[in-house]
Amino acid sequence: MKFKDYYATLEVEREASAEEIKKAYRKLARKYHPDVAKEAGAEDKFKEISEAYQTLSDPEKRQAYDDLGRHGPGEEFHPSPEWDSRFSRGGQQEVDLADLFERMGFGGGGGFGGGTGDPRRPGADFPIRGQDVEVATELTLEQAARGTEVSFSLSVPALRADGRVEKQSRSGRIRVPRGVVEGERLRVPGKGGDGIAGGPPGDLYLEIRLAPHSRFKAVGHDLYLELPIAPWEAALGAEITVPSLDGTVAVSLKPGMRSGQKLRLAGKGLPHRREGAGDLYGVIQIVLPEKIGEREQALYRELAEASAFHPRLHLEGPTDG
Amino acid sequence: MADDLLIPDDDEACTVALEELLAASGLGHEEVIELVQFGVFHCAQHAPVWTFHVHTVRLARRAARLRDDFGLNVSGMALALTYLERIEALEGRLRELESQLPR
Repeated sequence: MKFKDYYATLEVEREASAEEIKKAYRKLARKYHPDVAKEAGAEDKFKEISEAYQTLSDPEKRQAYDDLGRHGPGEEFHPSPEWDSRFSRGGQQEVDLADLFERMGFGGGGGFGGGTGDPRRPGADFPIRGQDVEVATELTLEQAARGTEVSFSLSVPALRADGRVEKQSRSGRIRVPRGVVEGERLRVPGKGGDGIAGGPPGDLYLEIRLAPHSRFKAVGHDLYLELPIAPWEAALGAEITVPSLDGTVAVSLKPGMRSGQKLRLAGKGLPHRREGAGDLYGVIQIVLPEKIGEREQALYRELAEASAFHPRLHLEGPTDG
Repeated sequence: MADDLLIPDDDEACTVALEELLAASGLGHEEVIELVQFGVFHCAQHAPVWTFHVHTVRLARRAARLRDDFGLNVSGMALALTYLERIEALEGRLRELESQLPR
């Protein structure tokens, strides 16, 4: 099996006291806990920290781990026959170091990734509910609006009759109803990990992520669209065409539109599950071409002379403070 | 279960019973009662048994993780969940406002 340096993971010396290990774990947990940290990779990092702490925080497990000796991280090694007879259930096979400690019967459990935090002891004769599993999927806005089916594959830890933990692979398809939003979790009851000793199975959760769209940003069921208009359209009003998720909408701009003003197109957002839909907001941006021709410049000059508008009038004179 | 088409719960009307919530989260009975008292979990108390919206399962699992990984007591869990909920609401508001800014 591959060696994992739990001390290095927790950034402590091999001689560290229980108190130092606890402190190191708390510091790292606060930094990488998936409920707290948002950066990519935090969850995997936390799993490693948690796995290391599960072993090093338990004096018996720590001693057993220390007895394995020193190896380089990732190095292939086999526990000594003596170690193996004490802790393993015989037979060399491909197992993960964490699985090995898990089935050493020291109890414990809990921790992230353990799902329900059930202590999974070998040979349990009381029913234990199966693990809940989560899978994430990324949908386009169009898929979220119409509903779709997604495929998934995952591995769930399962306890075999002889008390060994093995990874079972699962795959399938889940129907995603229309009207899901970013961050929503769909629950498929009873499709998580198998229960143990007659316990009920866990649940499967599908977490919805919406892929960035080239035009629209989704906020709940509402969609936002940046809507550029020309200065004369802003001043005079115009009949314009606005894209929506399903085709285009003709809209009348009233004269005197301002930048940042929101144009609400009711019911043109993402549909709700049963009936109705969110709204589509066109956020007005008054834009100018990068270069303007001579004729345009002349017209602007004429406009500047003719207009009494002073946009910075309120910035003139002394301030109150 | 390969190639099964799985149909999720109809979420809007979906509730879980107290026992289910306990089994799915790993929280204890007393802890759930206290978290209801703190106002972090909402349950339909008029029903013959306590039932919770299925979203509570996610909150409860998060509470159990925070308890196990940081050694929090119920007050700590309530406080952390309240703050996390507030952060998520603010992140939602931030996304909404960012949607209105020119790119």
